[in-house]
Amino acid sequence: MKILIADDEMLSRRLLEKTLDRAGYEVVVVENGKQALEKLCQPDGPRLALLDWIMPELDGPSVCRALRKRSEQSYIYLVLLTSKGSKLDTVHGLESGADDYLTKPFNAEELRARLRVGERILLLEDRLVEARENMRFRATHDALTSLLNRGAIMDLLGRELHRSQREKKSTAILLGDVDHFKRVNDTRGHIVGDEVLIEIAARLLGAVRSYDFVARFGGEEFLVVLNNCDPAFGPNRGEEIRKLFSCRPIHTAKGPVAVTMSFGLLQSADWGPKPLEHLLHAVDLALYRAKGEGRDCLRIAMPETKDEIAFDETPHPARQQN
Amino acid sequence: MQNKAEHQAQQVWNLAELLARVDNDQELLHDLLGIFKEEFSRIKPSLEAAVAAGDLKKAADVSHALKGMLANLGAERAAAAAAKLEELASAGKQSALKDALNVLGLEASTLLPQIDAYAAEVRH
Repeated sequence: MKILIADDEMLSRRLLEKTLDRAGYEVVVVENGKQALEKLCQPDGPRLALLDWIMPELDGPSVCRALRKRSEQSYIYLVLLTSKGSKLDTVHGLESGADDYLTKPFNAEELRARLRVGERILLLEDRLVEARENMRFRATHDALTSLLNRGAIMDLLGRELHRSQREKKSTAILLGDVDHFKRVNDTRGHIVGDEVLIEIAARLLGAVRSYDFVARFGGEEFLVVLNNCDPAFGPNRGEEIRKLFSCRPIHTAKGPVAVTMSFGLLQSADWGPKPLEHLLHAVDLALYRAKGEGRDCLRIAMPETKDEIAFDETPHPARQQN
Repeated sequence: MQNKAEHQAQQVWNLAELLARVDNDQELLHDLLGIFKEEFSRIKPSLEAAVAAGDLKKAADVSHALKGMLANLGAERAAAAAAKLEELASAGKQSALKDALNVLGLEASTLLPQIDAYAAEVRH
């Protein structure tokens, strides 16, 4: 583990460097508070630091205060190691943001033990961050396919539509539904059905750019958001994505399963500023048309068609057709 | 003010404590003694000049640095003398500084030969 020593006094630096090197730390040594702050603010900088109080440029408590103002970075465990030994100094040092306070001359055993306390705190923080990230992922992603879930894509799509409107660009919304998916589940079983959904997710993800979004929108419904997509290319991209499924079957544990998908496509530039729900309803109607016109095809939602006027609270027709 | 009993309880140089601090690493100890000799000869004139000029801030800072170095080295009496000097300078007691500096000088003159003798012994 990396540890920073900040001390302007050479004898102290040499002694600490050797003591900590012997204890297995990767030691970074600096001579003043400004250098300490720079090193500790680096993305891969040390997360454990021993700071002298009186140093040129910036003193130890000022380094502590500056670091504690930065909330975005990982926690850094700070120990003030100083020859200022009064109770008042200890209180002042800890109030500045230090986690621990030691006076010179240090006892090597005590120093190592206190640094191990710091390591335990940092490990605990890492675990908490990891748990929070896992929870955040679970809250925004579909458990089966690991794609974004409906809530997350709605949020991202809303922001993307605002952005594209502001920048006078177009976003393509592609809503796809697996044709006759119920048959797959009924004849091959739900495990195979799950395998099919997982492969569909993988093919969709493989077909889009890193800044596009793919989500599992419902049971066998998928939503693809093609950001900054020129309206001239939208239908071609939609067709390419549709053909990903009709061109080759999906291999499952129970053999290959032929799968096709129907798609509705909407390009935000054609619609102007409309509420998100309105656009989703329109693309859903386009998908409904694709289902009605033989499936395994793509239909485009245009404002002048009846799609535009059919917005109400009726259930999604495409879902009823499968 | 440090009393006589406290002073007598302190050692000029607590070598055992220093050896424990360096985990009996003679090479490191030798390095540290070399650094101390060099740093002390650099710091001492600067401290004397600050006291002579009545520069209390500088006198406090320099004696603070010296105190830390001496304490790390286990030079208990000299570290206590440097601490006294820092305390007086920080409190603005300019008139007492010269005496305190003399005490530090005396402690250093007792300490340095011990360090030299040990360094020579380690070298052989």
